[in-house]
Amino acid sequence: MEFKDYYKILGVAKEATADEVKKAYRKLARKYHPDVSKEKDADTRMKEVNEAYAALSDPEKRAAYDQVGSGYQPGQDFRPPPGWNGGHEFSGHEFTPEEAAGFSDFFSEVFGGQGGGRGARGRGRGRGQGPGRGNFRAQGQDHHARVMLEIEDAFNEATRQITLRVPTVGEDGRVHIENRTLSVRIPRGVHEGQMIRLAGQGSPGVGGGTAGDLLLEVHFNPHPRYRLEGRDLHVKLPVAPWEAALGAEVPVTIPGSTLSVRVPAGAQSGKQLRVRGKGVPAKEPGELYLDLQVVLPPADTPEAKAGYETMAREFPAFDPRAAGGVS
Amino acid sequence: MNERDVVIGIGLEEACLTIEQVAACGAVDAAWVHERVTEGLLTTAGSGTEWRFTATHLTRVQRMRGIERDFEAAPELAALVADLLEQLDAARRLLALKGLP
Repeated sequence: MEFKDYYKILGVAKEATADEVKKAYRKLARKYHPDVSKEKDADTRMKEVNEAYAALSDPEKRAAYDQVGSGYQPGQDFRPPPGWNGGHEFSGHEFTPEEAAGFSDFFSEVFGGQGGGRGARGRGRGRGQGPGRGNFRAQGQDHHARVMLEIEDAFNEATRQITLRVPTVGEDGRVHIENRTLSVRIPRGVHEGQMIRLAGQGSPGVGGGTAGDLLLEVHFNPHPRYRLEGRDLHVKLPVAPWEAALGAEVPVTIPGSTLSVRVPAGAQSGKQLRVRGKGVPAKEPGELYLDLQVVLPPADTPEAKAGYETMAREFPAFDPRAAGGVS
Repeated sequence: MNERDVVIGIGLEEACLTIEQVAACGAVDAAWVHERVTEGLLTTAGSGTEWRFTATHLTRVQRMRGIERDFEAAPELAALVADLLEQLDAARRLLALKGLP
């Protein structure tokens, strides 16, 4: 595994004071904030910065890192000294389980000794029970993750493989980051922001208590033709000029089916047609909104040019700019 | 793939999270959530005596917690930043609906 130079990641000298480390972290936390950063690799950099700060903001961890890392260069193959056990909590700076799961194998190797940051320890949910010592039972903690689906998944009962990075305590008592892959059946009719519960897929319970749940928050990948707003499906519908002018029945493909939709005569680009109940299926299904786009055929043959010239002659009073007050 | 290996997902109602769940998923204590609700910095959903929370509330909890932690910000300032980020979310959704980047 590669050695990580946490000082370089935060842009501070090895002699930097705790205040200088904190200041550097805040500056980078602002620069790579996932909600506002325009940097392409913001997510990756933020994970590195969090990891570096988890190591350098804690005096004991920093001392251990300095000890084990002396003499290494960034990217150099790292092997901890024989018998190394930092004896530190895996996490630090109160990072969430999701943030801690983004930490590298290097961090896990150096600081994974004592088993558990806030998330890895698997707190109970406050429902512990048991009358006496040694008989404590507690339900495992619920976990939360965001999952990116395709819009089509909302229309079909799709099964998707989801990989989560989770800190887990091994038999050796050390914390390791593991990739956990689940095959999940996505219920039909899910919408943006909805939670899906996977019963028993959270932290294990304590003393025979039941495992917590995994709560997946649904989000959709951008699609070239479809957009979802709640359960309403928005679809771009390109039409020919004569279909828009004269009216036509046109096929519209939506996830899982093809509909025949009547475009009214005199339709224009930007006009929106609504088809009731053809959005995301549910007890109260969403609507389908068709955003019309009039597409002109190219004037790239003598016949096509002649066609446009005929139109120009036949519509001498037509001024497309008059309605907008341009001319 | 073996059918038995597939985990069945159950779609939940919008306001589905209890205060314990929103706290656990946001890596804060229930008291942290309670304090911010009573201070008016965080809203709840649904009616009745038991508070319920949505995924949007959870995102706000995570954002406020991150701002408070990273910048040692007062809860009120973290709430203000969360308000602005929510307005940014709404503007981005509007642009996406219009097919703009």
